[in-house]
Amino acid sequence: MSQMPEKFRYQGLPSREVEPRTPPDEYSRREAIKLLAASVALASGLPGCIRKPPRTIISQAQSPEYQHPGMPLYYASAWTEGQVPYGMMIRTVDGRPIKIEGLPGHPLNRGASSAQMQASLLSLYDPDRLRNPMKGKDKAKWADADAKVREALQGGGSVVLITRSSLGPSERAMVERFLRAVPTAKHFVHETAHDGARRTAWKEVYGADGEIRPSLSKARVILSLDADFLGNDGITLKNIRDFAQTRSVEDGGVKSMSRLWVAESGMSVTGSNADHRIPVQPSKLAGLAMALLETLEGKAEAAKAFAKSAGLDESVVGALASDLAASAGAAVVLAGAHLPAAVHAAAALLNAKLQASAHLEWCASPATLPVSDPAEIRAALEGGTDLLILLGVNPVYDWPGGGFEALLAKARTSVAHSLFADETARACTWTLASSHNLESWNDTLPEPGVYGLCQPVISPLWDTRQEAESLFRWVKSLGTDGELESCQDWHDFVRLEWKKGVLQPASDFEYAWESSLRAGIAGAKTAAAFPALNESKARELAGQSVAGGAMQLVIQPHHAVLDGRFGGSAWLQERPDPVSTIVWDNAAVLGHSTAAKLGVKEGDLVTVSAGGQQAKLPVVVQPGVAAGVVAVTLGHGRSLPGAIGDQAGFSVAKLLGAKGSATPRFAGDATVAPAGGTYKVVRLQTNFDMVGRPIVIDTNPAELAKDAQAVQKKRHLPGDAEIHASFDYSKGHKWGMSIDLNKCVGCNACMTACMAENNVPIVGKTECALDREMHWIRVDRYHTGNPDNPRVYTEPMVCMQCDNAPCELVCPVDATAHSEDGLNAQVYNRCVGTRYCANNCPYKVRHFNFYGYTGDWLKDPVQELLFNPRVTVRSRGVMEKCTFCIQRINEVTFKAKNEKKPVVDGAIRAACEQACPAAAISLGDLNDPASLVSRARQSSLAFLVLEDQNVRPNVWYKARVRNPHPDVHEPAAEGQAH
Amino acid sequence: MSQEAAVLTAELKRLDDDILKPAESFPTARWAACITFTGMLAGVFGFCFLWTVFKGIGTWGNNNAVGWAWDITNFVFWIGIGHAGTLISAILHLLRQKWRTSIARFAEAMTLFAVICAMQFPLIHTGRPWLAWYWLLPLPNPNGIWVNFRSPLMWDVFAVSTYGTVSAMFWYIGLLPDLATLRDRATHGIRKVVYGILSLGWNGSNRAWSHYEKAYLLFAGLSTPLVLSVHSVVSFDFAVSIVPGWHTTIFPPYFVAGAIFSGFAMVATLVIILRKMFHLEHRITEDHLDVMNKVTIATSMMVGYAYLTEIFIAWYSGVAYERYAFMNRAMGPYAWAYWTMVTCNVVVPQLLWFRKIRRSVILLYPVVILINVGMWFERFVIIVTSLHRRSLPSAWDMFSPTWVDIGLFVGSIGLFLTLILLFCRFLPTVSVSESKAILPGAAPGGGHHD
Repeated sequence: MSQMPEKFRYQGLPSREVEPRTPPDEYSRREAIKLLAASVALASGLPGCIRKPPRTIISQAQSPEYQHPGMPLYYASAWTEGQVPYGMMIRTVDGRPIKIEGLPGHPLNRGASSAQMQASLLSLYDPDRLRNPMKGKDKAKWADADAKVREALQGGGSVVLITRSSLGPSERAMVERFLRAVPTAKHFVHETAHDGARRTAWKEVYGADGEIRPSLSKARVILSLDADFLGNDGITLKNIRDFAQTRSVEDGGVKSMSRLWVAESGMSVTGSNADHRIPVQPSKLAGLAMALLETLEGKAEAAKAFAKSAGLDESVVGALASDLAASAGAAVVLAGAHLPAAVHAAAALLNAKLQASAHLEWCASPATLPVSDPAEIRAALEGGTDLLILLGVNPVYDWPGGGFEALLAKARTSVAHSLFADETARACTWTLASSHNLESWNDTLPEPGVYGLCQPVISPLWDTRQEAESLFRWVKSLGTDGELESCQDWHDFVRLEWKKGVLQPASDFEYAWESSLRAGIAGAKTAAAFPALNESKARELAGQSVAGGAMQLVIQPHHAVLDGRFGGSAWLQERPDPVSTIVWDNAAVLGHSTAAKLGVKEGDLVTVSAGGQQAKLPVVVQPGVAAGVVAVTLGHGRSLPGAIGDQAGFSVAKLLGAKGSATPRFAGDATVAPAGGTYKVVRLQTNFDMVGRPIVIDTNPAELAKDAQAVQKKRHLPGDAEIHASFDYSKGHKWGMSIDLNKCVGCNACMTACMAENNVPIVGKTECALDREMHWIRVDRYHTGNPDNPRVYTEPMVCMQCDNAPCELVCPVDATAHSEDGLNAQVYNRCVGTRYCANNCPYKVRHFNFYGYTGDWLKDPVQELLFNPRVTVRSRGVMEKCTFCIQRINEVTFKAKNEKKPVVDGAIRAACEQACPAAAISLGDLNDPASLVSRARQSSLAFLVLEDQNVRPNVWYKARVRNPHPDVHEPAAEGQAH
Repeated sequence: MSQEAAVLTAELKRLDDDILKPAESFPTARWAACITFTGMLAGVFGFCFLWTVFKGIGTWGNNNAVGWAWDITNFVFWIGIGHAGTLISAILHLLRQKWRTSIARFAEAMTLFAVICAMQFPLIHTGRPWLAWYWLLPLPNPNGIWVNFRSPLMWDVFAVSTYGTVSAMFWYIGLLPDLATLRDRATHGIRKVVYGILSLGWNGSNRAWSHYEKAYLLFAGLSTPLVLSVHSVVSFDFAVSIVPGWHTTIFPPYFVAGAIFSGFAMVATLVIILRKMFHLEHRITEDHLDVMNKVTIATSMMVGYAYLTEIFIAWYSGVAYERYAFMNRAMGPYAWAYWTMVTCNVVVPQLLWFRKIRRSVILLYPVVILINVGMWFERFVIIVTSLHRRSLPSAWDMFSPTWVDIGLFVGSIGLFLTLILLFCRFLPTVSVSESKAILPGAAPGGGHHD
């Protein structure tokens, strides 16, 4: 995307020639912004004015149902993130989507949203999207493309269809019809960040294809074997919510708190939240699990003996074994998707022994299709095909081992459907421009029996078509499928599928369909019994040896851009990695000891080799990564049109099990060698040491049992000395926020939600390197203890809206002042930009707009539509900061005032709060004693950050409660009583 | 007596000729070369100024952690330079220190030009300098925009603008009799008109002299508290904040002492060149340098004492933030800057205990140059090392300057020197009228030379 002026763009490598952008199609654009144009025309056109309006006026009589000018209208819809189907609620104003929220009633995300979901809005308005079908480098017509495809389909030659794994039920039905209509066609599924190895292992040990989903809300002991279930492995939004529930500590309610054990290779979000963390090479995980099983089966010393032989901490592994032994029925074991079958089999045995099925759900109809073996796809393509159809996949970029271009070249006609002119699209003979999720009809299968419905909220901005629509038209054009004759378009087909399927029992289909559209979800969950474990098969699998050398490679999807599909999103590129805080890049992540052994330091380039393939990456030294492990992420090093994501970072697709390995994302025999040269990797946070300051207070159940006020005694209360009398806030509202550090897992979803809501600009890698990022909310990270296995604290930081705000005193122009309801208001128009306020802010939550970061967005007539009309777009030279989403506060309070009703707690939700999957954040009225934030302030766990500064912040944090096992000797909790 | 009168007249004529020669003769090649060079540097300043206005503060090295860096460093540095001028011309005048005469005019001019340089930085350091009208000139306006009088930056506006105004008036009043002399001696028509207008009809009458003396005394009296107040107010920019390393009560006297220290060093730096360039060695003598250097070493000791006190208080207060701020200065990533500062400001000036060094231009010159360097670093250390590691460690970061930062600083030196050179060329660098008053024959018992 090109929202950034040239100077902010990523400048690490020489830029590539970018194809000239196709001029916008006048008709499409008119379609796109017709409502906007209408409102502008209506507002400006005087009755007596005879000047012909430049664009067709669409009468308000034809505007969408329930539309009021300037008022938001919400639509329920669905969204598939990588491989997980979530529900979303889209806020539109005057016909343009401006914000995405999670769908409140959705079984998986329950109103929470992820960064990717938020950022999908940005890609809708991305000026670098494909705007029309292309034949080679020329603009083409849909009719010609369709004719070409029909001709090939009717020709009887070989046809290969490659799709992503996350097809919805209707799309799958369409693919089936396609395969029926074209008998010579073969369908393959291509993904890189898939869970194929795990799913195959499950199929073998449970005897059925399906997906096991954690259901952790009642679990008391959770063991993760390299499973980043809070980060990017599986249904993370639901996992975070469930896990946060198990960590909820109300006053005195500590006994029921869960304990999280994480044995992992890299340093993950899940590992950051562990009560005990065991850094271990992945090859040792199966052995560890089997040793734990032996201990559970009565061989008391097995676990410790294994720990000793594997060089792990004996006391921690011993305590883990006894914790599991004591928690049968309340414990559960999860294993990472990238691991070999032995680990999954061992985890299955452990779960069976622990009677863990209460904390696991068997999903007999998974949301995703099983992934095809790349070798099979290769075999199908190697002989040459007449027609190769690629729907939403990008194998030229991410083909394991690389070299898909050669296979592509063998196809007589190749057709790629894509949002962008990406690597694959550019290599195909026909490139078909895809519609965005927000312009499409679709459905999803979040849970067995539960269907999500995706509806368009804006007519396609450009001359695009969704992938399924193309498939529908191609099949229909063959004229062999009689049922399709009743359908005009793909939308009708989805309705047909729903009529026959989920809404089949409904007597009034139209009513049921309308209701489903409103709810975004339909159907009821069909529970399936957990299948019996084939124990002998599991033992056989678990006994397989896992090759493990001195250096082992783990490849995970990137936390923001996943497998690369979101590589063009600036919001996601600039969202820091939740562990290392790297932006705009990926790296070879090594632990301290490994880096020292290799003689490399952060920023040195290294060559990572595995299976005869290699990739060059910069080193990042991350505390907590196990010795002898190199962790890399997928999704970078793409070559996209526009500046964002174009060659940001390094592609590691070549390392994905080039020899057709069963575990493409794990290699036990990797090597890392210095490659010479350095590369600037930018971390948004460079210091992770609290240097003894009262920033995070943590405690543990033992401490709280001794003294329920332990946290209060650790607070650094300032003196009472006041020169001036404080302002009396007792009348009306006094806004405050509470953040529960015990719930926050540090996923950074809040950061993207805030960017979307508050028109926060992105600044690019070079500016990030200069510490000029603009995030109004950030999640700080601190490490304590052993650098090879640190304890990690995450702490979201927003503007604290201090009563004694140090920023307000020093501003020479009164650009920042306090409101009567306790907000630290920032008046952009007054601000001259002395930056004195930021210097004086102890929390450093003020961000100065050093360049006109938003300038180019405003110049683009399409991108401009993205902005939230209720939030000022700030210019250059102005200080900006978190406002507690004052526009949302006003929206609710004004309405309440007009209706003469009180403001209900929970009616106002800040963007960060709304996105938070852990429900860790709450905005509310401190004058309302019943509000969540008032209760949080009264909690015995409440504290303020840097309280000794006496700035009187209004963001109340609840202390982090760790739940260490009593047998493990732990260093003292953070913060000292005095 | 007529012979004595003739001698005196000849002496006066010689004095006029001496001092006014640069203003009355065709510029020398040396002067032309100098001003070409400094003019180019001033051009660099102008370019960087415009670059900043058109492109934004992003062209500097400042960031979210370090909101102020070279901009405010330069501001405080230049304001400090100015102090010696006012001290020499006003306080020493009130204290009847006659030795001040030969350097007072020059020092005053230096003050004015330093304030002009200093004033550029508060203006340009803002993100939107085009809005300066409403806070740098806080007049009631139809927009209803008013300023925040609680902000030390606002106090700065008043302190610096008052200082600039009073310094300019004081300097100009002192110039009147000399401007009249230039007018009277002028042979060229344009010179006659320009100096005629500038001398405001000075006629040398008793009445004029009487008003002049009163006005001069009045302005000396007005300027005297400003010497102390301006830098005290500038120090409030830091002391009033809650930034560890800034929030300290020692700042006002510490800043004033530092300002006088740097000012005297700068006067010496320039005067040494000036007396050589314009052959004024017998007007500005080793004795003058000697006295000035005594002031310099005294203020150096005060500054050194302040450094020690800061460290002591940081330890004694028991405040962890304060302790960290000072540990970080001495041992953190900017320790090199801190030790440069200590060496230049405390260690090097100890050489001035030696009379030989105080009176030797060659030996003195490196010392005063190093003091200038050290005092610039003092402000850099205070500002940048305090900000780059503030209260919340997650937000720590580093600062490094860009070419625009460097251009603005070096350019401001160019601007300063250009103004000095223009002054030397067109106005008497030593007060003619006052010099006449301290001639051996002017007062019974002679001048201060013996």
